[in-house]
Amino acid sequence: MSALAVSDLKRSFGGIKAVAGVSFDVGVKEIVGIIGPNGSGKSTLFNLLSGTIPPSSGTIRLLDKDVTHQPAYRIARQGLGRTFQIPTPFINMTVRENLLAAAVEGEWRSARSRAEEVLAALEISHIADDLASTLSGGQQRLLEFGRVQMRDPQIILLDEVTAGVNPRLRQIILGRVRDLQERGKTFLVIEHDMELVRTICERIIVMDAGEIVFEGTFEEVARNERVVDAYLGRPET
Amino acid sequence: MRARGANSARLTARSVIPLVVVVVFLATLPLWVDDYWVRVWTGVAMWAGLAASWNIIGGYAGYISFGHVAFFGIGAYATAILMQPGLDWNFFLTLPVGAVVAGVFAFIVGWPTLRLRGAYFAIATWALAEALAQLVNTVDFTGGSFGLSTPGNAETGFFYYAMLIASALIYLIIFAVFERSRFGYKVKAVRDNEAAAQSLGINTTSVKLQAFVMSAALPAVLGGINAYWITFINPQSVLAGDITDQMVVMALVGGLGHLWGPAIGATVLYLSSTWLSANFGSSTGYIAMIGALLALIVLFLPDGLVGLMPRARNMRLVRQMLRLPDRRADPGPDSDTSRERS
Amino acid sequence: MVRVTMQLLIQTIIDGLLVGGLYVAISIGFSLAFGVLDVVDFAVGEWVMLGAFMGVASRAWFGIDPIAFLPAVFVIFALIGFLVAPLIYRVRTSRYARPALMALAFTFGIAMFARGTMMTAVGFDPRTVDTDLVSGTLMIGGLHLPWLRLAGFLFAILSTALFMGFLFFTRTGLAVRATAQNKRNASLMGIDVKRLSAIVYAIYAGMTAMAGVLIGAIYSFTAQVGPQYSLLAFFVVVMAGLGSVGGVLVAGLFLGMLQALVTVYIGADYTLAIVFGVLFLILLVSPQGVLRRGLAA
Repeated sequence: MSALAVSDLKRSFGGIKAVAGVSFDVGVKEIVGIIGPNGSGKSTLFNLLSGTIPPSSGTIRLLDKDVTHQPAYRIARQGLGRTFQIPTPFINMTVRENLLAAAVEGEWRSARSRAEEVLAALEISHIADDLASTLSGGQQRLLEFGRVQMRDPQIILLDEVTAGVNPRLRQIILGRVRDLQERGKTFLVIEHDMELVRTICERIIVMDAGEIVFEGTFEEVARNERVVDAYLGRPET
Repeated sequence: MRARGANSARLTARSVIPLVVVVVFLATLPLWVDDYWVRVWTGVAMWAGLAASWNIIGGYAGYISFGHVAFFGIGAYATAILMQPGLDWNFFLTLPVGAVVAGVFAFIVGWPTLRLRGAYFAIATWALAEALAQLVNTVDFTGGSFGLSTPGNAETGFFYYAMLIASALIYLIIFAVFERSRFGYKVKAVRDNEAAAQSLGINTTSVKLQAFVMSAALPAVLGGINAYWITFINPQSVLAGDITDQMVVMALVGGLGHLWGPAIGATVLYLSSTWLSANFGSSTGYIAMIGALLALIVLFLPDGLVGLMPRARNMRLVRQMLRLPDRRADPGPDSDTSRERS
Repeated sequence: MVRVTMQLLIQTIIDGLLVGGLYVAISIGFSLAFGVLDVVDFAVGEWVMLGAFMGVASRAWFGIDPIAFLPAVFVIFALIGFLVAPLIYRVRTSRYARPALMALAFTFGIAMFARGTMMTAVGFDPRTVDTDLVSGTLMIGGLHLPWLRLAGFLFAILSTALFMGFLFFTRTGLAVRATAQNKRNASLMGIDVKRLSAIVYAIYAGMTAMAGVLIGAIYSFTAQVGPQYSLLAFFVVVMAGLGSVGGVLVAGLFLGMLQALVTVYIGADYTLAIVFGVLFLILLVSPQGVLRRGLAA
């Protein structure tokens, strides 16, 4: 069984083909990276996968269930979690309340203890009672990451989760990702940080102009000409 | 010095004592004050309840309803109609009827509009109130522009306690549902960041709808009591846009999304308006005043009067000003993601 | 018999279209102000009301015919709008509280303030704007076309055309359109969004006030008439899709027609209910325009 199976996914905005026919599979317990220059359609892809926007055509299967065209909350309830590129904390709530709010659609009775566990794992227990709006950028990303774990989703989409985060916090996040992988979680990760991609991703998908231009290990990707073209922008032949 | 959660109304010894004082004061009021003041405080109780109901959809859910008077009016007319000679319903039994009818209206109006941006909802609710007022003015069984009378067979004290208990129950319900329950977290999550809430599995439209229906049923009860109290109602008195205006301003002046904000706002504003009409007799001036007040509060004190209280756990304003240089690097969640649901 | 009914229908439709033109004039500025400032201006009806009263004042205070005074009305209200806009902008871009909703509440507040002040100042007597420049009725094939209404329609066409011209043929207009499409990118391209917002709002206020003068000449009004026109503007803009300027033309004329037809064939008392009903159906069924702009993403 694959965790996530995408087939010929397309999405256009007016005349612009943001995602122009993308197909790939992600197996259970895999950590797959998605890289590509700005505007290559990575974030749109995530929005399609999480149900935030509907596809123009194509299918998405989550744990072998067809979830194409389902609204975001339905897809989330079926085991998908995601973070956003620009953190989306609940600004009028404290860090702890943010985590509790993230658990409302899951197991409520154990929510409090789970929140404590997440706070400890991410080493943010000391700011648990601070308002989310007062957090620094890095702390907000930690919160974003912590929140997505509260409902224990099977598949987690991380959108540049460590951008602008200091090295220590980044280690914490990576450590947690590995922990969760061991417990059976699957990750799809958008990243610009190549070091991170090399460290943690088993497989990498490279996107450019809405399409997948290459798939492989980090070494294969680094050697590939099309990838280099995509990033450096050699004129189209 | 940490910025603690603003809206968790915790039950500490310090917060209980003022509460007890207020409760005793209100409960014994008719014993040591004359009829005029009992009536004034009946008004305060009513407006405190109305503002709190509006706060459910406006403050907790973050969708501004500009036609909330419609629900107040529905409750008023439900009670008045059912108490007409010929039907002669018991007063207390009319109240749930009004609440249910108002809830149904809210559901019908909310269903297509709450899945859209707040602006559409604001417009639609406003249109509902205006249309309803015009319809009620035209149709027969509501008495048209002539209005309806209700039997005037109860005492000032009765109405005072009826209004007080109804409002107190409203606050209790709001406390239980929005400050202490799972649902409260859902609503606030939807308000603070709808996209994130959806990504966490929350059916945001359904949550908003539930909050809206609740916010409509409660003022209907107050409307019913009011109809019985003032013994005569017509579209001008129970379906006027000014009533919504006051609900909005009271909640905003007191503090949006905070449990006690509406009560504070209602008390301050209603007592001011009573004082103004006693000394200057003008009610149109009052409208100009609350309009200006609303604009000023939004500009300078968006957290309302609760933001001024020394022990309000909301230090957000100070914190924000201190941290502003740090945050400039971060585009901030407000500008992008909350645009979607504004 | 049939001829008479047909004639009534055509007359009603034409009456509706003529008034619809004025609705378009109000709504176009309003729609664009929304596009650029990202705020639903609940004070739109009050600009109409204030314009109408200015029309009365032009004769009472300056002895100038209201129609001749129109350019001055534009200037006066554009100036007021220019001063108010930065406040709206400030609220709309503030970093805490809920900016969009707060801005809405802010415009609601200034609308209330304007209404309350006027009610206190002039009372409740209905008035009309008196103009000598335009009077009489044009008779074509049995149809009554009062010159005043034709003038209103012509004004609407003219101001709409001028406004479109400004939008599509000037540099500032280009900046406005760019900003309405994407504020973030616009500011990254060096456009001073704050100043642009003020300009747009000023033009919108001036235009709407001028329309108010003409509306005040056709219909009697009081200081309380604001919310009615706000509702009409909202209807037009919701039907056209918030931010879409093209659809406003169609929607405004449609609303004028709908209102006239309802008044003649059902009864003036039901106009609001029917307008609301249609509004509700539109939101329910959500034509592409409304839905695409209304939902997230």
